[in-house]
Amino acid sequence: MTKQNSPLRRHPIALVLAAWLAASFSAAAAWASVATTQPPLKPITINLQDKAALRNGALYTLHMCTACHSLQGVRYSSLRRMLGMSEAQFKEVIGTNGHHYHDTITSSMPSSVIDAFVKILPPDLTYIARRHSPAFLYTYLTSFYVDPSRPNGVNNVAFNNVAMPDVFASLQGLQKPVMTQGLRYGSPAQVAIGVEPLTKGSMTQAQFDRTARDIVTFLYAVAHPHEQERSRLGPWIIGLFVLLSVLTYLIYRLYWRRVVSTEERWWKVGK
Amino acid sequence: MNSNIRSWARGVFGWFDDRLPISATWRSQVSRYPAPKNFNLWYIFGSLALLVLVLQLATGLFLAIHYQPNPHLAYWSVLRGIQRDSRWGWLIRDMHVVGASAFFVLVYLHMYRGIMYGSYKKPRELLWLVGIFIYLALAAEAFLGYLLPWGQMSYWGSAVVTNFVTAVPVIGKPIATWLRGSFVVDLPTLNRFFVFHVFLMPILLLALVLVHLIALHHVGSNNPDGVEIHDNVNETSWPRDAVPFHPYYTVKDLFAVSIFFVVFFWFVFYNPSGWGFLLDKLNYTPANILHTPADIHPLWFFLPFYAMLRGVPDKLYGIMTFAGSFALLACLPILDRNPVRSIRYRSTLYKVNILAMAFSFLWLGLIAHGLATEHNMVYGLHVTEVFYMTFFALPFFNRRRTIRTKVIWLLAAEALVGLIDLWMYSIHAHSWGLMLLTDWIPALYALLLFGLAIVFPALTHDAAKLPERLTAGGIFH
Repeated sequence: MTKQNSPLRRHPIALVLAAWLAASFSAAAAWASVATTQPPLKPITINLQDKAALRNGALYTLHMCTACHSLQGVRYSSLRRMLGMSEAQFKEVIGTNGHHYHDTITSSMPSSVIDAFVKILPPDLTYIARRHSPAFLYTYLTSFYVDPSRPNGVNNVAFNNVAMPDVFASLQGLQKPVMTQGLRYGSPAQVAIGVEPLTKGSMTQAQFDRTARDIVTFLYAVAHPHEQERSRLGPWIIGLFVLLSVLTYLIYRLYWRRVVSTEERWWKVGK
Repeated sequence: MNSNIRSWARGVFGWFDDRLPISATWRSQVSRYPAPKNFNLWYIFGSLALLVLVLQLATGLFLAIHYQPNPHLAYWSVLRGIQRDSRWGWLIRDMHVVGASAFFVLVYLHMYRGIMYGSYKKPRELLWLVGIFIYLALAAEAFLGYLLPWGQMSYWGSAVVTNFVTAVPVIGKPIATWLRGSFVVDLPTLNRFFVFHVFLMPILLLALVLVHLIALHHVGSNNPDGVEIHDNVNETSWPRDAVPFHPYYTVKDLFAVSIFFVVFFWFVFYNPSGWGFLLDKLNYTPANILHTPADIHPLWFFLPFYAMLRGVPDKLYGIMTFAGSFALLACLPILDRNPVRSIRYRSTLYKVNILAMAFSFLWLGLIAHGLATEHNMVYGLHVTEVFYMTFFALPFFNRRRTIRTKVIWLLAAEALVGLIDLWMYSIHAHSWGLMLLTDWIPALYALLLFGLAIVFPALTHDAAKLPERLTAGGIFH
């Protein structure tokens, strides 16, 4: 029997691989011990070209959200082009809240007031929008529900034990939770997976959902400022290197054609 | 006219060339440097790593110009100052971020190439050792740079790592304070990390890379066949199996660079955070000293070491375990003294062992990617044992062993695994059930490796005949 034909030459590798594959599957079971039932996120389609949505989102964000939250990633002046407005239009329609036009967007409330009000500094929205998906933000904005056990009287489906008060109560109305038996950090618990209307607000549900979508659109655009530039430049740069790959491959073949591995005459040095 | 300019240019160049060995160095190190003609795809990662080093230095320069090493300013100087306020800042920063990860991908592949083809064996031991130091410097550079954006993961990752020193009894805490310049990670820490990242480590890296290249060109390149090309030279003392580095490998490297940039720029333009692997999502949140994240974990390239650290239920031993894996890599030339270099001509079980080395390393990364559950810790421990065993088993393959020696190796390996388990049981590190469920991993590996060596001795036999000349040439051979 020749060594090359022995089936065992490959056999051990397969054995080792099979054993480890089995082990990896059981490692995946480790997640069970910290599992928390995740509420379904509401699907959302945002259109970054929709200037009306962006403007509406900017209006709500810069007039409601920035009362507590900052948006330090951007300056007022950098929003103009995104919203498709002139400087005068921007100042008139949206305004800079008494700040200089080139200032970054900071919270309107002094930190001492915020401290007395919610005890925790509201996070900056630039990185919140960067960190979370539009679907999460949309679900979060539309899913506050009444929870008397919380200091602010409300909780959130997407963010359990949220510290933020329900600032949309006057627009959306109050909501009650849809609870289900699930897990929280591996232990059985009642988990909110959705909301149902409780009281009426000044907007219909469809109106409010659209407003929330506009806010998410605006926040996403603010958090991802170079998306358009990326998709405009990307194909050119990548295309250039694809082209270069083809060219350099041809050059490579051209040079290496002469290198014949089995013969002596392929290269004569010193000539 | 034209010839006048040409002779004038030649005169100017000649003036310099007479005083500086420009063309002589070019000839000896590039255009007449003999490179084995059978380099395959595994041989592109070294030059690509060099390219990424230059890329990191260039992009890093621009980032350092705009960066503010101050906890109050650092976060926004990156997220706003660099990414938005400076023209092309976002592109430069994303290139630096993707470049850091690309560097590690390339270096890991480069190192594994060295392991596969025995590039650490005589006379290249020092070349390998310098390479290990480059890897350590690179790891330090990446760790130091990770603090600079001052995000949550930056901050807490640095807090965890600077706390490593406190594992040393008595003097540990004062040393940690001295290293940080503060009791916690703070302004002094950020300042010194910045200086080390942009000044000390790059110089060290460049110096080490230079030494690495000098050592390489002194001893000559290894190749996939492990044949010493300088043993067979023609009448002009040119190795018969070599091609000049330029143009043959410069055109090949140019092709590799183009392909590399396609992938690189795809990440830069379309996936700069690399599914959260290149840039952790949590790092979008600014550092908060009052809010420790539930799960602090390093970036992907340190994950296997993190699994080792987590797996050992003792801080000092854990640190020794992961530091020990660097030491094992450095000791490769001592551990593997088999005269056969290339994996092509090594025994089947040696191939299995090398495969297991890579596989256990990847598996460790996967484990550390999961949360710090007891399950993951136990798996981390046992896969670490496998990773270590792949190194400890290397001397076994140095020569053909008698059946008695093989049995001793098997028993010794199983005893070692058993002793570690006994220690775990004795300190009640984990539940019995979990331990029993996972004990088999290193035990089975030792049984497979040495057991098969006993039952099928042919599996430990290296190729009976080594080639005297290279067997094939070109990139796709």
